[in-house]
Amino acid sequence: MLEIRNLHVSIGDKPILAGINLTVRAGEVHAIMGPNGSGKSTLAQVLAGREGYTVTADSVRYLEQDLLAMAAEQRARAGVFLAFQYPLEIPGVANVQLLRTALNSVRLQRGEPELDAMDFLDTVKSKLALLGMDESFLYRAVNEGFSGGEKKRNEILQMAVLEPRLAILDETDSGLDIDALKTVASGVNALKSPQRAIILVTHYQRLLNYIVPDHVHVLAGGRIVRSGDASLALELENRGYGWVIPEAQEEARP
Amino acid sequence: MNTQTANRYRNAFDSIAAPATHLASRRQALERFLANGLPTPREEDWKYTSLTALEQAEWHVPGPAPETAVTEDYPGTLLRFGNGRLVDADPHAVQAHSLAAHADAAPAARYLGQLAGRISSGTALAQINSALWQDGLFLHVPARRTLPPLFVAYSASEADVMLHVRNLVVLEAGAEAVLVEHYRGSPGLPYWNNPVSEIVLGEGARLVHLKLTEESATATHTGLAVVQQARDSRYHALSISLGGRLARHDTWVSLDEPGAECQLDGLFIADARRHIDQHLHVEHAAPHTASRQTWRGIAAGRGRGIFDARVVVQPGAQKTDAQQSSRNLLLSPHAEIDVKPQLEIYADDVKCAHGATVGQLDEAQLFFLRSRGIAADAARALLLRGFVAEALTLAERSGLAGWLEPHLAAALPLPEKEDTA
Repeated sequence: MLEIRNLHVSIGDKPILAGINLTVRAGEVHAIMGPNGSGKSTLAQVLAGREGYTVTADSVRYLEQDLLAMAAEQRARAGVFLAFQYPLEIPGVANVQLLRTALNSVRLQRGEPELDAMDFLDTVKSKLALLGMDESFLYRAVNEGFSGGEKKRNEILQMAVLEPRLAILDETDSGLDIDALKTVASGVNALKSPQRAIILVTHYQRLLNYIVPDHVHVLAGGRIVRSGDASLALELENRGYGWVIPEAQEEARP
Repeated sequence: MNTQTANRYRNAFDSIAAPATHLASRRQALERFLANGLPTPREEDWKYTSLTALEQAEWHVPGPAPETAVTEDYPGTLLRFGNGRLVDADPHAVQAHSLAAHADAAPAARYLGQLAGRISSGTALAQINSALWQDGLFLHVPARRTLPPLFVAYSASEADVMLHVRNLVVLEAGAEAVLVEHYRGSPGLPYWNNPVSEIVLGEGARLVHLKLTEESATATHTGLAVVQQARDSRYHALSISLGGRLARHDTWVSLDEPGAECQLDGLFIADARRHIDQHLHVEHAAPHTASRQTWRGIAAGRGRGIFDARVVVQPGAQKTDAQQSSRNLLLSPHAEIDVKPQLEIYADDVKCAHGATVGQLDEAQLFFLRSRGIAADAARALLLRGFVAEALTLAERSGLAGWLEPHLAAALPLPEKEDTA
């Protein structure tokens, strides 16, 4: 589904990612772990089409398309979804307005008719229930005055409504208490399917107790320095990042 | 003012038909105006706005009022003024009249000219209006009566006219009304609109006052509203300025007795080469009074916007609560917005705050929306909608949002909905 070959990313003269190789197949869950500043969030943002970076690669293929040639909105319509680490507040725009505009943009691309207000509400209400969210969420301005946990749940709600093929969750666990974490995790698990892939970007292993990954990668100094199965995450939890990345970290610090 | 220009105003004065009873005060106003001349940028309140073009143009008073066709549905009772004079009035509008027909009778005679005389700046424009007005709205709502929404449509259809509409609005104790003023002109027509509204709110009276300005792209609009509020009265105003080559809106509110409160909201969109200048002045003249201002401004192209708001808390006006918020967006590198919120506080037990920002559309917000599949142009339009929404809550609350919607959609500098293909 996603094949990244030798991806380099920098901001100005500052290199952030220095040759990422990663293959994600449909149905898989990948976790990308690493210490702060290792480039995890940059990778997530670049895959979603954030501008302002210098991006080069041998190739980044997504569903047989050249991902880097696509604008952010084209990627989203083709099924790429990024759950933001810091969800944006958009005063004056109701959640329901965002969700409906977004869903209809995506549906149009898929060749499906736009949903009218009633059909849309039916769709979105079932997703709200899935995440234990109250209907009043729909009529509040996007993320304005939301608690940290509400913002993260709102990201997962958008994901549930848009039903992406490739979901990238950037630090979705940060700032969540244990109950919120479980709710968010069950929301994500409900979306797992053989047609769908999920990339979890996370600093801690905690989330991975609830969403079990097939593959775990350690990102450090802009490279994937180690890959393994779910047990690698547990080992990182016990031993920290030091043992797996000493050279890479030194390289990353000039 | 040079002799030639002065003579033009004298000729205008001689050519209008005005009730004889007001001739002396009109002549006095004319002489004061001719002595003072139009405001210049040397006056602090006019430092951002030059009326040189207005001074040089050759204005005349309009001919007979035209029989224009109704071009828009208004969700309420309607009075229409064409080139400054009443064209027709909905028979249901029993409390709304032609001011010219009622200027000599109480209570119009009691209030007319009293309020405009209270203001201290930009007085020349009020004076020339006092000298040359021919008609306008006289709205008188008796005590404890509630009026259905009243729309007053002012249109200009003659080139190079100056229109000095005079409105007088009196709400007796406990009366309630919703008043919508809509200013328009034929596309491309040059003219000068200089309306003055005097608004008197009795004890506990409530007025919702919406002003939509959609003058032609070559027109000049200089408007003044003066509001006087008695105990526990509420004045909620929303000014939406979308048109005109140059528009200047002055609002002057005096909270004269305890419990009076006003909310002055607004939105301006200064695109192309428009110059839109809003001046608000609130006098807290009694204790336990409150004022709120929520303004949003957008400047695009080579547009220029000004938000200048002064709140004065007079000595003894304790427990005053005054809040000002002005947020502004620049959509082009050649656009400019100047904000000047001012608090003058002469009492010590008050709660006053102001906030003003000028910025650009947020790239992070834009990326967030695009990452949800929304096209860049549609995302910008959505952000602009969200940005202006905060200033338009009064329209929502008073059921006017639906009427306003197409006017806003036509004015926002980006397409409301873009083909998502």
